Amino acid sequence: MSRSGFSRRTFLQGSVGLTVANFVPGTTPFAHAATMEEQTIAAAKAAGKADVNGMIWSPYLVPMKPVIAEFTKETGIGIGAVQDISIFDAPQRAMAEALSRSPQFDFIHIDSNMIPSLASAGYLEPLDEYIKKAGFHLDAVADYGNFMKYGGQTYGVPTDGNVHIQYTRKDLIDNPDNKKRFADKFGVELKVPETWEENLRLQEFLMDPSKDLYGSGNLRNRANGPTWWYMIYYSAGGFPFDDDMKPTLDTPAGQYAVDLYLQDKKVNHPEAANWGTPQMIPRIAQGHVVSCQYWDGTCKTIANPKQSKTVDQFYFSLVPGSKFTGKMVHRSISSPLAAILINKYSPRKAQAAYLALWLGSGKNSIPIVSDPVNAFNDAWAKEHMKAEPVLKAYTPEGIKAVETNFQVVAPPIYLTGYLEFQDALGKNLSEAYVGQLPAKDVLKKTENEWNAIIGRIGRSKLKNDLVSYKAVMPKKALPT
Amino acid sequence: MAVDVLSAGKTQLPSMARTQSRRLAVRHFKLSLLLPLIALFAFLLMPVLLLQLYFSFHQWTVYLGSWSEADFVGLDLFREVLTDPRFGWAVVRSLAFATSSTLGCFVFGFLLAYLMYKPFRGQAFFYIIFILPMLTVPVVVAYTAEMMLYQSGPINDLISRIIGVDFKPAWLSNPDIALATVALLEIWNWTPFSFIILLAGLSAIPKEPIEAAEILGASKWRIFWEVQLPLLRPVIFLALVLRFLEAMAEFPKTWALFQGGPGSATETLPIYIFMTTWQYFQISKGAAMSYIVMLLMVVIVLIAIQLLRREKRSLDQMYELRAKEAES
Repeated sequence: MSRSGFSRRTFLQGSVGLTVANFVPGTTPFAHAATMEEQTIAAAKAAGKADVNGMIWSPYLVPMKPVIAEFTKETGIGIGAVQDISIFDAPQRAMAEALSRSPQFDFIHIDSNMIPSLASAGYLEPLDEYIKKAGFHLDAVADYGNFMKYGGQTYGVPTDGNVHIQYTRKDLIDNPDNKKRFADKFGVELKVPETWEENLRLQEFLMDPSKDLYGSGNLRNRANGPTWWYMIYYSAGGFPFDDDMKPTLDTPAGQYAVDLYLQDKKVNHPEAANWGTPQMIPRIAQGHVVSCQYWDGTCKTIANPKQSKTVDQFYFSLVPGSKFTGKMVHRSISSPLAAILINKYSPRKAQAAYLALWLGSGKNSIPIVSDPVNAFNDAWAKEHMKAEPVLKAYTPEGIKAVETNFQVVAPPIYLTGYLEFQDALGKNLSEAYVGQLPAKDVLKKTENEWNAIIGRIGRSKLKNDLVSYKAVMPKKALPT
Repeated sequence: MAVDVLSAGKTQLPSMARTQSRRLAVRHFKLSLLLPLIALFAFLLMPVLLLQLYFSFHQWTVYLGSWSEADFVGLDLFREVLTDPRFGWAVVRSLAFATSSTLGCFVFGFLLAYLMYKPFRGQAFFYIIFILPMLTVPVVVAYTAEMMLYQSGPINDLISRIIGVDFKPAWLSNPDIALATVALLEIWNWTPFSFIILLAGLSAIPKEPIEAAEILGASKWRIFWEVQLPLLRPVIFLALVLRFLEAMAEFPKTWALFQGGPGSATETLPIYIFMTTWQYFQISKGAAMSYIVMLLMVVIVLIAIQLLRREKRSLDQMYELRAKEAES
C-alpha cells in the first residue's frame, strides 16, 4: 500500500484548471452526460463480443449494415449467420423456432403483431432490463411505442413504421377541367378526400380504364385485404371484441366497412383480387392509379425519379375517415410493422438485445429509414420527422403525412393467434370480393370462425391479451 | 449296388448343402440391402409417424404450453377434420386438380412419346427440349407464369393475335379458372415425366407382334389400338398413378401464385394443411389431417397396385397364349 503522491492543494488546482478548460472553445469537455448511444455501447461492451445470428429479410438488412458495422467497431458485436427470409414467411418460421425452443437465432426481424403469439409460446426475451441498462428511450411518434409492448413488457424495437397514408393524384384533382366537371356534377370542390365515401366518389369520377387508369390502388388479395377493412371499420367506431372476448364484427360498423371494402371492386383493376405489392406499387408509381391508402415507404418510391413516373404528382395526406359514429374519426394502420425481437433461448441474447437497441435509436436509424433504394424500413421516430435525409427521401409533405397518420394509427388484431384471426377474416373478405360468398355472410362466418379460435386458445387468456390490444389502439379521433 | 447308392448319397449331400448355403448367402445379401432401408424407416420415419399420431390424439395449443402437456382428446380431432367443410372442399379441389393435370400430362406426354419413339435425325435435340420443363424449379415456373398470365400479359396477347379475337381471361384473379391455371402449369411442368415413362414403355414393346400385324395387313390405327396400346397398358397405368400421387401433393406453384386465393379457389389439401399447421399453428389438427390424407393416399396406392397386378396378369396370360399358339 503506497500513499498517493497528490496533495490536496495539487488536486484542487488541477480540478480548477480542468473546469476552466472545459469552457474554452475548441477543447473537448472532460466530463459530460453519456448519450443514449454511448450508454448502449457501454452496456453492450459489458455483455462481451459475439457474432449474433438472425432471421431477417435482406431488403431490410442492407441499409442497416453500415450502422451495424459502426456498432461492431465499438463493441465487437456483429452479425454472424443470417437467414434471409421474407417478412411474410417469417411468422411461420419463427413459430417453428418457438415450438422447438431453438437457440439457432439470436434475433428475429418480424411483424410486431406476432409479439403476443410468440411471447405466449415462450420465445421472446423481454427487453426492459436491457433498456434500463442502456438508458434507452424509444423515441416513437405519438403512442407508436406501445406497439412494442405486450402484457406490460417491451418485446421489440421497431425498424419499419409502415403506417398507411393517403395518396391522391395531384395532377388529376388540380386539373381545371376535372375540377369544373366534378363541381358541375356533385356541387362540391374536387379535392383530397376526407371520408371513405368521398374517396370512392373521386375514384369513380376520375378513373379511365381505356387509358389504363383505375380509381383505386388498394390491395384486395387474401393476405393483405383485411388491412384496408380494419381502417374503415375502426374509423366507423368498430372494435372486434367486447370485454368478454366475444367477436363484435357483425355490427352496423362492420357491415358498413364490408360494403365500402367491396365497392372498391368498381374502381380497382379487374385483377386486383390476387394482386399484392409487387403488382400494385409499380402501378401506383407509373401513374395508373387515382388514389389509394398505402404504406408510407411508397412515398420514397414515388419521389425517386429512377423508380417513378409520378414524381410530384401525388398529394400525401391523412387516410380518409368516417362520420359513421356521428363525429369524424380517422384510423390509419401499421401492418406489418417490422421490429427486432430477441430469442429467450439464445446464449447471446444480451448482445442481440443491445444491437437491436443501437439500431432503434432515433439518431442511428436515420440512414436506415432514409435509404431511397432499399426503401423497406420506414420512418417512425420523432427524430426522423425532422432529419434532412428523411425529409429528402420522403419529401416534406410525405413526412408530414407520416407524422399525421401516426397519431391515429391502429394495429390489426393484436392478440395471441393473430394469424388465425387474420386469415379467417382475409379468406371471407376475399371470397366476398370474388363473388364466392354473399357480402352479408362475411362477418357472421368470420365471427363463427373466430369463436372457434377463441375456444381453442382460451377466452381467459385472450381476455388478458385484450388489455394490451386496447392499449395499442389510438385514443384520439383526429390528429392534431 | 449298396456301394452305388452310398456313393450317390455322398455326392447328393454336398450338393444339397451347397444349395442351402447359397440360398442363405442370397438371403443375407438381400437382408444387407434392405437393412439400411429398414433402419431408415425405424429411426427416421417411424418416430415422425408416431409423433404425428401422438399429436392426432392430443390437442396441443402451442401458446399454452409444451407439447408434452397436450390434452388427450381421443378421436375428436379426426371428427373435427372430417366434419370441416373447408377440408372437404380441399379434398374435392385436390382430386379435381390431380385428375385433370394427370390426364393432361398423360395426353401430351403420350403424343410426344409416340412422335419420338422411332429414331430420327435430331431426336436427341428434341428429347432435351421436351424434358426441359421438368428441369425447371416449380417456384420459378410459378413466378415466370405470373408475369406472362396477367390479363394484358403476353400469353393473352399472343392468343388474341392468333385467333383474331380479344382473348382476356383473368387467369390469376378469376376464382372460376384459378385452379385450372395451376393445372395448366402443372401439365406444362410435368408432361416430360409422363413422356419419359411412356417413351420407355413404347420403346420396350416387342417388335414381333407389330410386324405380325403388319404382315396380316392391319392398318396403323388398328396396330396402335389393338397391339401397342394393350401392351403399353401397365406402363400407362404406372405413369398415371405416379403422376396422380405427385399432383395430389402439389404445393410450390399454388402457394407462390395464389396462397389459396382468390377467395378460397385454390385451397387444395397441401395448402390447407400448411395453413392449418403453420399459419394457424394448429399442429394437432394438421397432424390429424395429414393422417387422413395419408390413409386416402394409401387406399389410392393399394387400388393402383391391384389394378397394376391385374394388368400384369392379363399381359402374362396373353404372352403365354401367344407362345402356345406359336408352339402349336
